Amino acid sequence: MTIKKKLNQLEELLDIDKDTLDENAELNQINEWDSMAVISIIAMFDDSFGKVITPEEVKGFRTIKDIIDEME
Amino acid sequence: MATGVLNNVEIKGIACAVPDHIVSNDEYNEVFGTESVEKFIKMTGVKTRHVALEQQCASDLCYVAAKKLLEKLNWEPNSIDALIFITQTPDYAVPATACVLHHRLGLSDGCIAFDVNLGCSAYVYGIWLAATMISTQDLNRVLLLVGDTSNFGINQNDSSTAMIFGDGGAATALEKTKGKDIKYFLNTKGSGFKNIIVPAGHARSRSNMETSASDYELSMNGAEIFTFTISDVPKAINAFMSQYNINNDVDMYVFHQANLFILKHLSKKLGIPMEKVPISIDRYGNTSGESIPLTLVDALGNEQSNETLKLLLCGFGVGLSWGGIYLELDKSVCLPMIYTNDYFGGDND
Repeated sequence: MTIKKKLNQLEELLDIDKDTLDENAELNQINEWDSMAVISIIAMFDDSFGKVITPEEVKGFRTIKDIIDEME
Repeated sequence: MATGVLNNVEIKGIACAVPDHIVSNDEYNEVFGTESVEKFIKMTGVKTRHVALEQQCASDLCYVAAKKLLEKLNWEPNSIDALIFITQTPDYAVPATACVLHHRLGLSDGCIAFDVNLGCSAYVYGIWLAATMISTQDLNRVLLLVGDTSNFGINQNDSSTAMIFGDGGAATALEKTKGKDIKYFLNTKGSGFKNIIVPAGHARSRSNMETSASDYELSMNGAEIFTFTISDVPKAINAFMSQYNINNDVDMYVFHQANLFILKHLSKKLGIPMEKVPISIDRYGNTSGESIPLTLVDALGNEQSNETLKLLLCGFGVGLSWGGIYLELDKSVCLPMIYTNDYFGGDND
């Protein structure tokens, strides 16, 4: 899965316009990053990558890149 | 995982009562902002909820449901051998609300009555308990009442809890019946007890002088609950179905109505089509322990046919506690939904 595809998947999940998300963006600077986004991310990892990540692990993500690195 | 089969017991009737008063989540636009409310509705599926009056308790809703159910079944109050009331919002700290309901329903002195404290898993635990009493003891009829007014003790400015809960009460009549059985699985993970908690108001906080107002409100860690639900619940359901050779001929999977996102994810993970998963959360909210019977009544309450359905019921959440029931149910056992403003006036009633 290319980085672009991963970014597009996150844009869709966070309801952000396509091709606008920057890999280096910090999560706490993204308006759409809230408690519901955390749940959506956990669901996405379970659904698309077959792994259950804990809320603790999600808290450890600081940038979009941190999420992308786990998307495999 | 605790599993088993309880023989010679059947559900004879289910009735549900909800408060008349309807709250629409659109009303929260000014509190949380339109965009946040829309996002919340999209994710949880909760559009409207029935919310109890200030004076209306879970026991009042269960009482109304029980009265109607006994009338329909033509069961005399003195024929009831046991009353179980499961709630997290009892009338008093002491005594057990089951005793008050026993009095109001005019049950006999020889009737067993007690409370159980469970939430999301209350109904499956309740069915297991009532069925165990009938199947293994010399009891003939048990009345299971499950209800909550979860909107009591909610911080109206906390977006994670203010718009999610609906109030309601259910009554289920179980009776000894030769040849019928109920299969169950039950689990507990007490290490997650803090994930849904009201910390103050009971003995643990008695000597703590530093409790603040927010300690009396429900706090919920949505992400932890979600992770638990998608990892432990499907695993348990799959193991249960395989142990008892329960196949895809299940007609309906009735899940605790936690939120729509969880229900969709859970169904997808289990490979169940959404047509087999009835939904009530859009109009009733998360109704805690009574969400399973409420969803059944919502789906089947106006059915007249005696067609039998194979049902898998599953509750999961606060505790953490989860379990499931597999049984056959006649479509016609569910009464139509009851709407009520009634409440108990104490000694004057």
